[in-house]
Amino acid sequence: MDKKIVLPGDRIAEGRMNIPNAYTKDNGTYAAVVGTLDNEGHYIALENKYRPFVDDVVIGIVISVRSAGYEVELNMSNTGFIPARMMRMDLSLGDFVLCKIKMVNEVGDIDLGEVRRLPKGKVVQFPSAKVPRLIGRKSSMLILLKEYAGGDIMVGNNGYVWISEKSNVPLLLKVIKHIEKKAHKSGLTDEVSAMLQKETGGKKALPMENPPSAQMNRGMEEQEEEYRR
Amino acid sequence: MAANEEVKLFVNGKRIDGRGADEMRAVRIEVGIIPEADGSAFIEWGGNKIVCGVYGPRECIPKHDASPYHAIVKCRYMMSPFASAEEHSKSGPSRRSTELSKVIREVFENLIISEKFPNTQIDVYIDVLQAEGGTRTASVTAAAVALANAGIPMKDMVSAVAIGKADGHILLDLGKLEDNFGESDTPVALSNRDKKILLLQMDGLLTKDEIKKVIEMAESACGKLHEKQADALKKFYEHGENEEFKL
Repeated sequence: MDKKIVLPGDRIAEGRMNIPNAYTKDNGTYAAVVGTLDNEGHYIALENKYRPFVDDVVIGIVISVRSAGYEVELNMSNTGFIPARMMRMDLSLGDFVLCKIKMVNEVGDIDLGEVRRLPKGKVVQFPSAKVPRLIGRKSSMLILLKEYAGGDIMVGNNGYVWISEKSNVPLLLKVIKHIEKKAHKSGLTDEVSAMLQKETGGKKALPMENPPSAQMNRGMEEQEEEYRR
Repeated sequence: MAANEEVKLFVNGKRIDGRGADEMRAVRIEVGIIPEADGSAFIEWGGNKIVCGVYGPRECIPKHDASPYHAIVKCRYMMSPFASAEEHSKSGPSRRSTELSKVIREVFENLIISEKFPNTQIDVYIDVLQAEGGTRTASVTAAAVALANAGIPMKDMVSAVAIGKADGHILLDLGKLEDNFGESDTPVALSNRDKKILLLQMDGLLTKDEIKKVIEMAESACGKLHEKQADALKKFYEHGENEEFKL
């Protein structure tokens, strides 16, 4: 498919359309950030700033512990807040957490819920505009990464990527950097697959037992049980 | 130089550096040269070399500067002490750099869609490494590219060029000598899509007709500059990085 790069101020659609990362003026829709436009008129941002929405799953780092709750750094200008009354466990400074955004208001205060602490590992930044490419269609990219690097990997909407310490971390960092560079190209999963085979010599890693990401879609009841333990 | 009143800036259709009246100096733009910044750009425009880095939107410090309605734009233009032959021997804020920071900030305050980021600030740092006249216009051109690279939503791209008068001729893209010894220097910044004037200053005097001609020249020159900006950004996003960058 033919893709061209559009810059802020380029017309991307006739009429006033509600498209993310675009704005409307005088019966036209214009790009607000650098993005790609294919010949069917789909506009996808290449760079943007993450803006929080309710029900987004985000990964954060606990930066402050207070009696009322925890302050969480979310790879953006505002910090998130976990009210202590929502919690059945204690967090400590520097913990990685996976949570859902419960409330956002117009001045940018963010309340988080459904908190889960992530095991030891590493959190790296990834551009939030390119997160869908890192996950892949039906998580194909993540499954591929786990197959070769072992361990577990989780991606938040805010662009933080958590990698378990059991994974082949240097390999993952290299591949994630590559995905970041080639995010707008098609056939990315095949390219990454070839790259992983070359790097590892085709050797697949052992899957992790009971990976945290497998529990991501469990219901709230089960999660609460886990907290009680 | 005051003793040498006979210096001619425009002889036989040629300028002091050999250009024609409506010829620009060579422009080279590079994107993504500072890995740690959210967005960055480098511009080489004749003898000017300027680095621009953009950070944010991030927490606003000091807090009393913050607005609950929109992000505020902070711009710091600085000419390095070694940037040119005279005057700028000291680093730090001066009358000149404070003025330039303000006019460049106002260009981008009009372009950035800042309502989406309340209580934050967007920092634009501009460092002039080497100066040869027209640094404010080159800075605006580079900062627009750096902001696009940072993914900050903008209504439009902007580019700027200085046009002036020397020896009675209107000249495009003034160099240092034409700026210092000419009759007028008029930097113009125009948005790309609707050609709105975002910066217009005038040093010296021009007649009404001359101003009209200046704006006309600026429109065609800014179109060419926008192509350079677009090429630089497209090249960067094709490769996803800028590895072979050289100062």
